[in-house]
Amino acid sequence: MNLYQFFGALELGFLYGLVAMGVWLSFRILDFPDLTVDGSFPMGAAICAIFIVSGVDPWIATAAAIIGGMIAGLTTAWISVRFNILHLLASILTMTALYSINLRIMGRPNIGLLGEDTIFTPLENLGIPSGTVTITVMFLLVLLVLYGVHRFLSSEMGLAMRATGANDKMAAAQGVSKKKLTIMGLSISNGLVALAGALFAQSQGFADVTMGVGTIIIGLAAVIVGEAILNPRIIVTALFACILGSILYRLTITLALNATFLGLQASDLNLITALLVGIAMMTPRLRSKLVDFKARRGAA
Amino acid sequence: MIRLENIHVTFNPGSALEKKAIRGIKLGLKEGEFVTVIGANGAGKSTLLNTLCGDVVPTKGKVVIDGKNVTPLQAYQRVDLVARVFQDPRAGTCPNLTIAENMALAYARGKRRGFKLAIEDSHRYIFKEHLARLNLGLENRLDDAIGGLSGGQRQAVSLIMAVLQPMKILALDEHTAALDPKTAAFILDLTQQIVEEQGLTTLMVTHSMQQALGMGTRTIMLYEGKVIFDVSGEERKKLKVKDLLDLFHKAAGQELDDDKLLLE
Repeated sequence: MNLYQFFGALELGFLYGLVAMGVWLSFRILDFPDLTVDGSFPMGAAICAIFIVSGVDPWIATAAAIIGGMIAGLTTAWISVRFNILHLLASILTMTALYSINLRIMGRPNIGLLGEDTIFTPLENLGIPSGTVTITVMFLLVLLVLYGVHRFLSSEMGLAMRATGANDKMAAAQGVSKKKLTIMGLSISNGLVALAGALFAQSQGFADVTMGVGTIIIGLAAVIVGEAILNPRIIVTALFACILGSILYRLTITLALNATFLGLQASDLNLITALLVGIAMMTPRLRSKLVDFKARRGAA
Repeated sequence: MIRLENIHVTFNPGSALEKKAIRGIKLGLKEGEFVTVIGANGAGKSTLLNTLCGDVVPTKGKVVIDGKNVTPLQAYQRVDLVARVFQDPRAGTCPNLTIAENMALAYARGKRRGFKLAIEDSHRYIFKEHLARLNLGLENRLDDAIGGLSGGQRQAVSLIMAVLQPMKILALDEHTAALDPKTAAFILDLTQQIVEEQGLTTLMVTHSMQQALGMGTRTIMLYEGKVIFDVSGEERKKLKVKDLLDLFHKAAGQELDDDKLLLE
């Protein structure tokens, strides 16, 4: 891995850190495994790209992408809580629909953004190298989002959201509406994922309708790897764990793809990801089994 | 003033699993009255409480609190009127949240929740003051996860949480049944103190005849979804557990096979 690849991994690490925070919100805070993100990530990219090529200001395009993602999250949550449909199923419905919707938004399977103005352009015009610009802007945006999510979860409403995910009976007894907060939480979660999609399109220079495949598993990988390392007990640490996990995930992938003796190629990405998440999820279980095994053998 | 007007609750109506849990209960609670509810398993005690709290929608009848018909309201929509403590200490608190966060949730009960910080310094002061009365040292552990507390400690905090904000009726659902006898006595004592101090209207469901007579100002007995016995005042003071058991047999018109059900 050379320096160029390292910074590339770091940049994508920050970007998918946003996805990880979104996934963490739905998965850990609301206890709602939400596959909508596989559709809201490309949706963010699609909305942002079509707006930019139509000559709209890139910041407005990015904001529109966030709103689009929030509507996607809201739809999933609404289907699930209003009609009592299994969360996983509700999110698959939205995700499936989003594939067609994203094609409609773009009008074609992909849009190139090379030569278009993005949120990075003004800084690049100052003569700062474009790699430095993207990585700095992403870093700042990730920190801003981290602060925002933390502040929200410390608020009365955010606390209610944490309660409703952990113990909905107790939350209801304190006057918390699970429906309302699930809708709100998934909107925020998918808004973040769409923001990541919009940034992805602008930094990589394209939006593609298939770019969302595996978003959920990349987000999960980041969450789980981060948790395994930081073992967070408070919200701030948990959010940092998302970002750290995301960066480590990217570095691992880059390393794996660069290790020529493994003979892997770029298309093996999803296989490596699935293996990584699988191992990370099995580790705690295997560890406790090992402890149990030793204790039994010791007692014999 | 709380009125349960001719409440009927039927679970799974029209199916093979149909169960008439409550068949026509009329009950009025005066302000400041502390009613204990007793009955065998399946008599409808918990269903009655859940109807009051809004977890169960009656098939027929109305729940009226302070002149307001709350029957159509969901549980979370009537928390400004009904506060409750669950039987399971784990049900009433959020294990991964801290003591302060749990109390902050209860402190915002019945109010509009916004984007203000949930825990301000002024709140911490109030929480500490409330916790100090328990003499459990919890006032110094505000930032500990509540899941690390014992069942009794959690139940004590649940009780404090239930009375942090004003309500019209306090609903206690066998809130000492899952505790060891010593802890149960502590919680009952605390309940008695708090209810008396604040003059709360209270409905306490219990399994124990001892508790049913020893606490509160009025006792009602349920049998197969009906009130078969309702006693208060002087008459109640003279009652002993044995009398209650005899009354139960007489009113129900049959012997129970297993008195342990009621005496445990």
